[in-house]
Amino acid sequence: MPSEQGSAGNKVKKLCVWALLTAVCLITGYIESLLSLAFIAPGVKIGLANSIACVLVFSGDIKGAVAVNLSRILLSALLFGSPVSLAFSLAGGAASLCTMLLLKKVPFFSVIGISALGGVLHNAAQCAVGIAFIGMGAVYYLPVLIFFGMSCGAAVGFLSALILKRMKKG
Amino acid sequence: MKKGDIILLAVICVIAAALAVFFLYTEKGGKTLLVKVDNEIIYEYPLDTDRRIDLEHNTAVIENSEVYMYSADCKNQICVKTGKISKKGESIVCLPNRVVLEIK
Repeated sequence: MPSEQGSAGNKVKKLCVWALLTAVCLITGYIESLLSLAFIAPGVKIGLANSIACVLVFSGDIKGAVAVNLSRILLSALLFGSPVSLAFSLAGGAASLCTMLLLKKVPFFSVIGISALGGVLHNAAQCAVGIAFIGMGAVYYLPVLIFFGMSCGAAVGFLSALILKRMKKG
Repeated sequence: MKKGDIILLAVICVIAAALAVFFLYTEKGGKTLLVKVDNEIIYEYPLDTDRRIDLEHNTAVIENSEVYMYSADCKNQICVKTGKISKKGESIVCLPNRVVLEIK
């Protein structure tokens, strides 16, 4: 196969993988809404879809991580959300993705710790949006959000680490 | 899981706990008392100084950052029986005299 076609084929393959992963993200979002954690604290989700962004970041596909995360956020807002929920998801997604991209190279932390911090900053960013929408009252929810951001982020990181391990083997 | 992760998780927990304690501590009481008559604010007093507020038909008291209605010339005395308030958003209402004490 000529090399030009090969690179085009690779591009298409990559695009397909990203599209597939976006679909997986949307489905995990739906499954998650069935096993809601909202009875513990309102508004709290595990954020399983973030494990896909996490895996992409740590397997080196940064472009893919941004593309998949952005399409997931836009699509889920279109399908299930509202402009307000879009603002919340965008802020959270951007914060956690930036955290992971920045800390990826720090040897002091593993995937779990970085994902946990990503979860914390995800929720902190959402809290900031909450303050913008409903005023300073939202700030009182911050400790709860930090705690659950950490726990859920660590869980997502653990899951991502398992997936990454299997990807290396395969 | 690396050592750095455990330290990071511990630090996050400490920050969350510190914030929670800080918020619980600061949220405890409101800062000012609004005295309204006929739905108009006629006085505004800080809660940290004790004082007696004499109105036309009622007397309110600020004591130890708490507010209560000391007396009222109405029949039902509901406002007097309301007791002490100290938290943000709480209020004492004297309907017959159209007096409201509210903490902001």
